[in-house]
Amino acid sequence: MGGNIEHRFSPYTDNGGTTLAIAGEDFCVVAGDTRQSEGYLINARYSPKVYHLKNNAVLATGGMHADGVALVKRIGQNLDWYVHKHEKQMSAPALAQMLSTILYSKRFFPYYVWNTLGGLDENGKGCVFSYDPVGNFEKQHWSCSGSAGHLIQPFLDNQIGHKHQSNVEHHLLPLDQVLKIVKDAFNGATERDIYTGDFVEIFIITKDGVTVQKHDLKKD
Amino acid sequence: MSLRGCLLFWVFGLRGLCSLNQFQLNLLNLLRSEYDQGVNTFSPEGRLFQVEYAIEAIKLGSTAVGIQTAHGVVLAVEKRVTSTLLEPSSIEKILEIDTHLGCAMSGLVADWRTMIDHARVEAQNHWFTYNERIKVESLTQAVCDLALRFGESADGEDAIMSRPFGVALLIGGVDEKGPQLFHADPSGTFTRFDAKAIGSGSEGAQTELQEQYHKSLTLREAELLALKVLKQVMEEKLSGANKGFRILPEAEVNELVAAM
Amino acid sequence: METTATLRFLDAPASIAAFKHAASEDDIEATASACVDMAPREFAHPTFDIPAINNPVEFLKHQTSVDAKNRIKIQHGTTTLAFKFNHGVIVAVDSRATGGSYIASQTVKKVIEINPYLLGTMAGGAADCSYWERELGRRCRIYELNNKERISVAAASKLLANMVYAYKGMGLSMGTMVTGWDKTGPQLYYVDSDGQRLKADLFSVGSGSTYAYGVLDAGYKPDLTPAEAIDLARRSIFYATYRDAYSGGFVSIYHVKEDGWEFISRTDVNDLYYQYAAEPKPSLAA
Repeated sequence: MGGNIEHRFSPYTDNGGTTLAIAGEDFCVVAGDTRQSEGYLINARYSPKVYHLKNNAVLATGGMHADGVALVKRIGQNLDWYVHKHEKQMSAPALAQMLSTILYSKRFFPYYVWNTLGGLDENGKGCVFSYDPVGNFEKQHWSCSGSAGHLIQPFLDNQIGHKHQSNVEHHLLPLDQVLKIVKDAFNGATERDIYTGDFVEIFIITKDGVTVQKHDLKKD
Repeated sequence: MSLRGCLLFWVFGLRGLCSLNQFQLNLLNLLRSEYDQGVNTFSPEGRLFQVEYAIEAIKLGSTAVGIQTAHGVVLAVEKRVTSTLLEPSSIEKILEIDTHLGCAMSGLVADWRTMIDHARVEAQNHWFTYNERIKVESLTQAVCDLALRFGESADGEDAIMSRPFGVALLIGGVDEKGPQLFHADPSGTFTRFDAKAIGSGSEGAQTELQEQYHKSLTLREAELLALKVLKQVMEEKLSGANKGFRILPEAEVNELVAAM
Repeated sequence: METTATLRFLDAPASIAAFKHAASEDDIEATASACVDMAPREFAHPTFDIPAINNPVEFLKHQTSVDAKNRIKIQHGTTTLAFKFNHGVIVAVDSRATGGSYIASQTVKKVIEINPYLLGTMAGGAADCSYWERELGRRCRIYELNNKERISVAAASKLLANMVYAYKGMGLSMGTMVTGWDKTGPQLYYVDSDGQRLKADLFSVGSGSTYAYGVLDAGYKPDLTPAEAIDLARRSIFYATYRDAYSGGFVSIYHVKEDGWEFISRTDVNDLYYQYAAEPKPSLAA
């Protein structure tokens, strides 16, 4: 008759990292760093968490790496089935709604993932959708989440959304300027967040397809 | 061997089922063997008789016409108002599946309602999951998926009927590919048409459609054509009471009848 | 006795959940493995995945609690109100979503447009509200097609209450007002994830509701003009955002009329602060 031992099912771990997405007039940029950590240990320096999906949308998954991989695989399957069933590629807004439904189907055993989805809508305009782990989502112009989300978001609000600036007319920025801001954001976050660093991968979505850039971040 | 040969002959003869006399029917019963009894058994010639008989059953149903134009699809059905005591509005043979989809039928109305329920749920589920309207062809496919769910249940799916549906459908709708018209039969086969007639008067109606149809029909011209075709094959007098997507109100139908 | 849920849906993304009292651990595992199959039909027969453990409810409770190591911060929404008056129903909400102390968004749409004549509001778990009210929209549409007339607000709100009641105790969090105009006139119901469903002329829901009630009750009467009613609703939400840290962003207002709802306005609370500050305060001394 030993004493009671409490066992708890703890399937989650936070692997850190930061992701963001910014919508432009006719493009969308989705980026994430590639560091994968567990506590104070850095597991991997290049473990991408931003995925180019078959329908030319790009999904950034923050939180637990394993859940992100599982989720992306499931989305991939569903994208394929959609093509077979409806003889067309799923649009980014349709994927946005489907992702919410998938996340909510695990409402009682959630994916430990904070998603940001970027793509082009039916009119070719950039669109960004951000999610909580159980599928609440919102269409936005820019969004940042993950371990340095709280550091970068206000920076984007100011630089992309021209928030808290007086006498400035809000306008959509061109791609080259957006890319500069993304790199600055990640370099800055790397300086202040221990879970962000190593590399940043930037996906650029235009009507012609998706291109990727990889840039160095500090490795300390 | 010769017996099988006969069997084939009679089955082809089935197309004129109505004209068979009692002697022929008895002979038919004798020759058919047991292969038309079960819904899940092929005959040695590779036929599923019950499904074929279901297709035959449609030819007893009221006539329905569908015409696709560049601006939309017209669906029209004949309502058989067999008695002055019958309330015409209680006969429903065209129903809305969703704002962009309509369905007309010929055959067993009760079977059709099951399919409509399924189609409506399918259209709404697509909206729920993808926040977009389901394509006309996808919806047609979804309805046809039901068609072969008779007999014993397959793995993971419940059989919903003990026999095939006795219904043919005309599904009209508009999606990103424009207006489209599909015909679906009890075997679950669907085909796209510019214009199609089903039901008892379908042969005559289809010939008429073949002659009159052209790609540049306006919606109104298509409405008039549908009415004209129906009028030719209907036994009763044409009036607003016996014509049912946009489901036109009776007054509008009467106005169209006057314009003919 | 442990309760395991076999959440197998029939034709609907969210039909009634079948609850099963687990007799043995084998039962639980059987339930869990049944949820693993991911066929193309997954949206025709969606299931809710349940962790394969004795008490899935406790699992989620722990995972969302403040002291959890890897906490799932579910986004929460916060001050909402709605009231009936002689010209219909006014609905007003803030737009802040918080995950813990972080402001996840200042631009949340907390009025859910179920269809052109029904509105729902969002307080509690944002995903719970939007998912179930979307499901409500699906069902109302099917009802409308089958019955050739719109569903009543009473029936719609009861559908929602019954849906979430099936998951009672499993951690759903939803406090919503369902409102619209049906054959019987303007209607307003409050439905929450405990299964409670109330009918009244005036509700406010969320962490800022007490502050909103203070302003609302002081100024409410049935014979307000639409302009007065809209102003009262806006002030009520504004003062809630002023005192409640979990509320903020923008005040959105809708007016439910006989021919459906109408979107009225969306105003930054910062602009309202300066607008109200410039007004002369009423003298309270009699």
